[in-house]
Formats: sequence, structure tokens, C-alpha cells
Amino acid sequence: MLIRKGSGITRRRVLRGLLGGAAVGVSLPMLEATLGHRAFAQGSFPTRFGLFFWGNGMLPERWIPNGEGTGDDWQLSPQLMPLASVKDHITVVSGTNLKTPNEIPHHSGSAGVLTGRPVLIKSHEDQTFGAPTVDQVIAQAIGGETRFRSLESGCYGGGWGGISHNGPDAINPPEFSPAALFERLFGPAFRAPGDMSAPDPKLALRRSVLDAVTADMADFKRGLGAADLARLDQHLTGVRELERRIARLEADPPQLDACLRPDAPSSEYPDVEGRPQLLAKNAVMCDLIVMALACDQTRVFSHMVTRPLANLQIAGASDGHHQLTHDEPDPQPQVDAIVTEIMTGFNDLVEKLAAVPEGDGTLLDHCLVLATSDLSNGRLHSLTEFPIVIAGSANGKLRTGMHYRSPFGENTSNVMLTLIRAMGLNAASWGAEAGYTEDALGAIEA
Amino acid sequence: MNRPSFPAAVIAATLALAGPFVGCDDGETPPPVEAPPVEAPPVEPPDPATVEFEAPPPPIPRLTNAQYRNSIATLFGDDIVVPPAPTIDLRSGGLLTVGAGDATLSPRGVENLENAAYAVAGQVLDPDHRDRALPCPADEAGCLGQFVETWGRRIWRRPLTEAEITRLVTVGEGAADVLGDAAGFEYALAAMLQSPHFIFRRERPTDAAGGPYDGYAMAARLSFLLWNTTPDDALLDAAERGELTADDTLRGHVEAMLDDPRARDGLLEFFSEWLGLDALDELRKDPTVYTAMSPEVAPAARNETLTGLEELVFVEDGDFRGFIDGRRTYVDRKLASIYGVRAPAREGFAPLEMPTYSGRRGFLGQVSFLAANSHPTSTSATLRGKFVREKLLCHVVPPPPSDVDTSIPEPSGTTRTLRERVAEHLDNPSCAGCHRLMDGVGLAFENFDGLGTWRDTDNEAPIDASGELDGTPFADADELAGLIAAHPDFPTCVTRYVTRYGTGQVEESGQREMIEALSARFVAGEYRFTDLVVDFVMSPAFRVAGPVAAADEAEEQ
Repeated sequence: MLIRKGSGITRRRVLRGLLGGAAVGVSLPMLEATLGHRAFAQGSFPTRFGLFFWGNGMLPERWIPNGEGTGDDWQLSPQLMPLASVKDHITVVSGTNLKTPNEIPHHSGSAGVLTGRPVLIKSHEDQTFGAPTVDQVIAQAIGGETRFRSLESGCYGGGWGGISHNGPDAINPPEFSPAALFERLFGPAFRAPGDMSAPDPKLALRRSVLDAVTADMADFKRGLGAADLARLDQHLTGVRELERRIARLEADPPQLDACLRPDAPSSEYPDVEGRPQLLAKNAVMCDLIVMALACDQTRVFSHMVTRPLANLQIAGASDGHHQLTHDEPDPQPQVDAIVTEIMTGFNDLVEKLAAVPEGDGTLLDHCLVLATSDLSNGRLHSLTEFPIVIAGSANGKLRTGMHYRSPFGENTSNVMLTLIRAMGLNAASWGAEAGYTEDALGAIEA
Repeated sequence: MNRPSFPAAVIAATLALAGPFVGCDDGETPPPVEAPPVEAPPVEPPDPATVEFEAPPPPIPRLTNAQYRNSIATLFGDDIVVPPAPTIDLRSGGLLTVGAGDATLSPRGVENLENAAYAVAGQVLDPDHRDRALPCPADEAGCLGQFVETWGRRIWRRPLTEAEITRLVTVGEGAADVLGDAAGFEYALAAMLQSPHFIFRRERPTDAAGGPYDGYAMAARLSFLLWNTTPDDALLDAAERGELTADDTLRGHVEAMLDDPRARDGLLEFFSEWLGLDALDELRKDPTVYTAMSPEVAPAARNETLTGLEELVFVEDGDFRGFIDGRRTYVDRKLASIYGVRAPAREGFAPLEMPTYSGRRGFLGQVSFLAANSHPTSTSATLRGKFVREKLLCHVVPPPPSDVDTSIPEPSGTTRTLRERVAEHLDNPSCAGCHRLMDGVGLAFENFDGLGTWRDTDNEAPIDASGELDGTPFADADELAGLIAAHPDFPTCVTRYVTRYGTGQVEESGQREMIEALSARFVAGEYRFTDLVVDFVMSPAFRVAGPVAAADEAEEQ
């Protein structure tokens, strides 16, 4: 069980030596998980999951493609036209409805699509998600092999904690700063392929500190009520993940041809005259996400390009996005332009995934990226005709180049169950209450 | 100052803590406030110590980001650079301190907490600071243990057990073996700073089945309430001596803490959370519509509001209704230009008696309220009205129903002003219940544009700012401010928010009489805010915990 080429000692012995045999109970979490990591087996690449989320929905009459099926049988709609270069790699699902109750505008839809459950209403002014979001359900199953179990990023959050949840009030806050995201992924702790330097001895000491924290946690939890116990367990999950990350850093970095440490971002893309540099900032965040996948730093990401209810005043718009959805007269040309701009940002992500060669194909072939929002028609806060675009075939599990239009308003949860299964999870159902389903959407499965 | 007067008896009549306060679920406007009975005899407010009170179980708040930063500064000094806050704060019941009772640490938060712990520990034990941190010569036998005991009590806000000391010393010794003696202190300190005992507040009653909080719990509760930071050595020593649990000594400590300059920053955090001043961080205005908008506006607005509160509460110890209906404020040149008043002679802020022609009175005439509760290019009667209802009067405004067309018609020849355009809200039965509550109040501020500058017209039509507040008519925002300050729900609402902030919990029906009693004393004492705080701290609401239904015991049974 070698941990370092040529060192000839085991990790356990390293730790004993470091800590002088003291009874500190140093644990070696996930040691077995460190072993098989590295170069992927010939021609076999893991399936990565991504979520591309934006706020305030779309305009159904400008969103729904013409025609159905594959190939030339369907045409991109005006709002999806930015995806023309990747049309063969995406599937648009239209005509499904969120069945979860529409109680709190924007919250009900984001919770409904991402958890399959009603939003959890704590009081007339406070609500949260009732269960982990789809990205975290998937991360719990497949995230254990990489340095980061999941990665959360975004462009504009402003007062909204984030969409990725591990449970009620347990938000995974996105990183909104390009520099901070770079530092976290590719800063000094990052080890590029071929880096065979000895691991930092401080890593083992950090682990011994986390062992003490874990022991404190056991003391602290004694006598707590159930709700507080769940909060402390969330904290403990974070400690466990940190332990695993330390183990990852002690192992040799994976040998991945496409992995290159990117250059540090040169700008934080501040607002210019009160207006966001949406696409420029999105582009650099997408560069970092794509390279995080190519370097197998994570296999699950969620990117909140704008938050639910976002009221950004995008260049050229006469008011904030959310305000325009409510106040702009039909046919809402400004709202239309903003949705189209956001889809241009999605296209940027998809094109970048498609540009990374992996084996005989591209990184995009080994991805499943879901693009969705917090509602469909913003003016009406409606949850029918929910926006769903899927990019990548999930290693051949899903059909692409397709527009599937539900003939009878199927439950949007059916799409989510299909995606979860395509990610390799053996899930019998998705969601709860009105969002509950056991039915997958066979039409989009390969 | 001339204020409409409502006797205390009216307060009890309009307070409905058992259910929501005034709400709009039934689509009806709330009943008008009854005219006060003539010459009501003065009512002695009930004693909070004797009213019926059901203590809630102790919350387990996670330190807010501000509390985390402040605690590091209190513990190690202002010159220690604190890395970015560990994670996001949650807001619950309108307050971050209440959200803290629901908040946890995400994996990302744990990662940030670890980074911060090493960054802080590295600075505290660097050659410049080490002498301050070490209670003994570093190479002296047993110094690590002494270090852990001393710092553990400060960081975890209580003395450590033997087992806890041993655990931390073992961590330190392991590090010292590998990296040298100095690292032993550093890693032991980093372990304390990552512990749940630091980042979560576990304040315990003397009896697990419920009862008065113990001395160390009181030290932490007092310190976070009044100073928004971790208790210092003096307060922990007072806890050890039992001075924070006995009535007479507790009162002395509370009064001394309020006199301490740290109470200003500490309680300003309350005001900032209550009024949602953090929204100013995200203030976005279209500079082509609001040409006075610049990056200086939001910080100046926050400073105006907080300076005014600091003067009112700490310097003048004045009537707190003045926050709503007073004319005194503090402006710099930027704000003076927005307000159309004479600019201060020098750079910086100067006191100003807001002239009556400005149309502005109290907080509701400030940019902090007017701009933060507007859209990037327009005003919002709904947001402004919602703020008044929810934050100042504690009236419940539910979210809008789904699947209704929420658009406001564009200005046209017949509907030019916002009042005309939102008339739809008030005609449509599914909107009217709530929107009458909000818009009726919010339209009073239409003379102030989306940034807070005075205007006489909206789309060239004259603005009508009149309306009624729960049955009492007003002509404009100036008169409305007087009605809000005199509204019987205002002191109760302030009391509710103080109680929420100080307990970290949203009040429930078992605390209704307590809040009524504290509010009645607040009114009887002529609205002295610091008196309200002292009364609250001395009351069972702050000092007593209810029993916890422990999950592990339930399992064992």
C-alpha cells in the first residue's frame, strides 16, 4: 500500500512516525478510495453531472422549439437559437409541468424542480428546501472519488444563499469570485498531473486536528434535540469531506491528458455603471468549471448564473430582469433578449465541454448538464411548461439532438428521475407528495 | 413633540400574538384602531418577572459572520487579519441572529473555517504576537497545557474539562514533534478554532430540564447581545463569581456593558439587521435614470441611519419614536444633494434639522429606506408599504398568490401616476387584501423617487400622497410618520424584534404576555430604548431556558 512512489513506507507508518506513536486516534478515512484513482481505465470515463441554473424563467412562446423528434425534424426556438452550434449535443424537453404546489413564487419552482418536493415553509417570511437538491443526491453517490465532492459557483447571487442544498437550511454557497474559485481549485494545493513531489507533512497534522474536532463533535451532540443534531451532522459531513480531500492530496494526481492548470483570471468583472458583465464573467467561471472536470477535481457542479428573482439590469435593459418580467408590456422584447443572453452563456459552457478531448470523444460526451430555472413564465410565476435543456449524453445513456414534447403535461419529476438514473443511481423514485414519481421519461433514454 | 396618543390599554387590544398579528389572509383590511377612551386612568405595566411565560428550549446558534470576525478581534486583537467569513448567514424571522439558530456549516463552510483557523493561529503565534499569546515560556514543561486551558476558556466561552485539555494537548504535541515547539501551540489553537464548541453557541441552563441559564451561558448571551462578540475575560470572571445570575449584580453588569463603547457597535448590529441595511450592499440603480447615484450613496445612507440611531439611543437617550417622526439627522454633501438641503460646510457628516419643506421625517425620509425598497429604475409602493407593515408594525403580509398576472400597466394618458397604475391591485379581490395593506401605506412615499429625491409629479401628473393607516387618514409621508410613531403596534413590534434578536428565536404564543409586559414598560418609560434592553435582559425572556427533548435520550428509551 504505497502512498508515494519510492518512499517505501505506508501511510500509517508515516503518521505513527509523525505523531510519535501518541494515542491520537488518527483515522485514515477513505483510504481504499485513494487506491484505484488515477488514470481512468482505457477508454472509460466517469459520467459528470452539472446544473446550469438561472432565475426568472423564460417566455414559453419564444422558448418551445418547432417540431419534435431528432435531426431536422425540429428547429431551435428564438430563445434557444444561441445553442445552434451544439444542437446535436442537446435535448430540449418541453411540455412538462412541475406538480409541486406553487405557494411561494420563485421558491416553489426552484425547490420543486431541484428536490421534487414542495418548498418547506418555516413561517410567513422564511422558507427553505425540504430535501437535498439533485446535484447533491448525485454527489452523495458519485462525488466520493474526487478532491471536491461537488463544486458550487455562480455569477450573481445578491442575498440569495444558493440553490444547492444538502437539506433544510443547509445551503452550499456558490463561489461568485473568479479569483477565489481559481485559488480554491488551482491554487497552491493543486497538484498537476505528473507532480510526484512528496506530500506536505502538514496534511497529516491537519488530519489529526480534524480527529480532535470529530471527538469534540461527539461531546457537543450529546443532549441535543433532533433538529440541532441534524445541523451538527451536516457540519460533521463537512469535516469528513475535508478528511477525504486531504487523503486525495496525499495521493498522486491523476494522469489526465486534458488537464492543464489554467491561468489565473485577470478580472473580477465588477459591474460597469450599475450593470453586470454577465457573459464575460460567466465565460471565465465556465473555463474554471470545465478544467475542474478535466482535471477530475470534481464530478458534480452547479452553476447559478443568476439567482431566482435576480433583478440585474443587464446591458441594454431599461429595468432589472425580475422587474421586467412583471412590468414589460407583451411581447416582452427585453425579457426575451435577457433569456437569449443567458442561453448564450449556457452555450459557452457546452461548447467548452465539447472542446476538451477525452479518449475517443469529448468531455461533453461524458457529461450530463441540466439547464433549468425557478419557473417558466415569470409574469405569471407559472410552473407549467417548465424549461428543461439537457446537454451531453451521459456516456451514451441519453439521446441527444432531440426535442421531446410531452403530449400530456408529464410531471417534470419524471425528467429528474431519468437524469438520476442516467448518472448510474439505482433510484426507484424521485420527489415527494405531488412531486413524487416512479416514472422515467423513456423517450429521452438511449 | 405633538403625537397622537394611544393609552397602553389599546395595545393589548390590538396585539394578537396567539395567531398572526394583523394579516390579510381574509382579504379584509384590519379593523380601524379604536379611538382612545377619554382620560383613561394610568395603568401600571405588569412586572415581566411575574407574568405567565413559557420559556423556549435553548437555541444552538452558529456564530454569524459578523460575530465570528468580532470574536477573533476580541480574542486576539484588531491587528489579526481575519480571512473571509466561514460561510453565508441565514435570515429567519427577519434577523440573521435568528437564522443563526437554523444555520449549519456546509462542506465549503468547514473548509473555510479550517483555512481561517490556520491563518489566525499562524498570526497569533508569529514572532510579533507570540509574547502576547503565550502565558508561559514556550519551552517550559507544561506550557502547552497552560496555553490550552487559558485560551480554551476564552474561545469556548467556558472552562474546559480535563479530557478536552488532554485532547488538545495531544494534538499540539503531535505537531511539535514534527515541526517544532512553536507549531504545537499553533495546531492546538487551530483545533480550538475549528471546534463546534467555538463556532456553535451551546448555552446551558443550570438544570437540563429547564431553568435559569448558568453564569457562562449568561456571559455569552450578554456579550453577543450587547457587544455582538465573544465575552472578554472580565465577563467570564464575573460569570465564575456568580455575578451574572443574581438580580442585583446582573443589573450592574448590564448597565456597565451598555455604557461601554462596545455597546454602540453591538446594538447597531441589531438595528442593521432589523432594518435590513445589508440590502444597501446590493443597491443597484440605473445611473441614467438616477443621475445622483454613485458608489458613495449606499455607505453614506447606512452611515446616516446608524449615526442617527447612535445619537438617539446612546447620546440623547431620547424617545425612540423620534426614530420614526423626528427631524434630526446626519448628512454629508452627497446626501444633502439628494435631499435638496443645505450641504455641510466641511467634508464628512454633520447634524441637520431636516427642514419641513423637505417633506422628510425620520427614517422613512431617508435613502436607506426609500432607495432600498425601490426598483433599479422606479419606486415601489408595494416594497415600501411591506417594509412599514412588517418591520415597524409587525403586521403579516403573505407572499402573492401564484398564477396571477402581476404586471402593472405602463403609464398611459389616463393612468400616469403609480397610484393610478396599481389601482388594479386594489380592484382585483385576490390582490386587494394584501395590497391595500401595503400600497395604501407605500403610496404615501411617491413624492420620493427610486433613489429618494423629492418629486412633485410622476409622468408629469401631480402626485397624491394621501391615504389612511388602519382607519386614520393622512395627507402625506410627513403625517404618516407621525401616525406610525403613535401606532400602538409600533412599540410592541420593536419589543418583538429586540426579543427575537436577544433570544435568537421567533416569539411564540407562550411568550405573548412577556412581550406585552415588556412593551408596556417601554411605553410607560417614554420609549427609552436602552431601558427596553435592560428590562428585557433582566426578564425571564432572556434568562430562562425551557427543557430540551434530547434526541439521544429519546432513542435510548
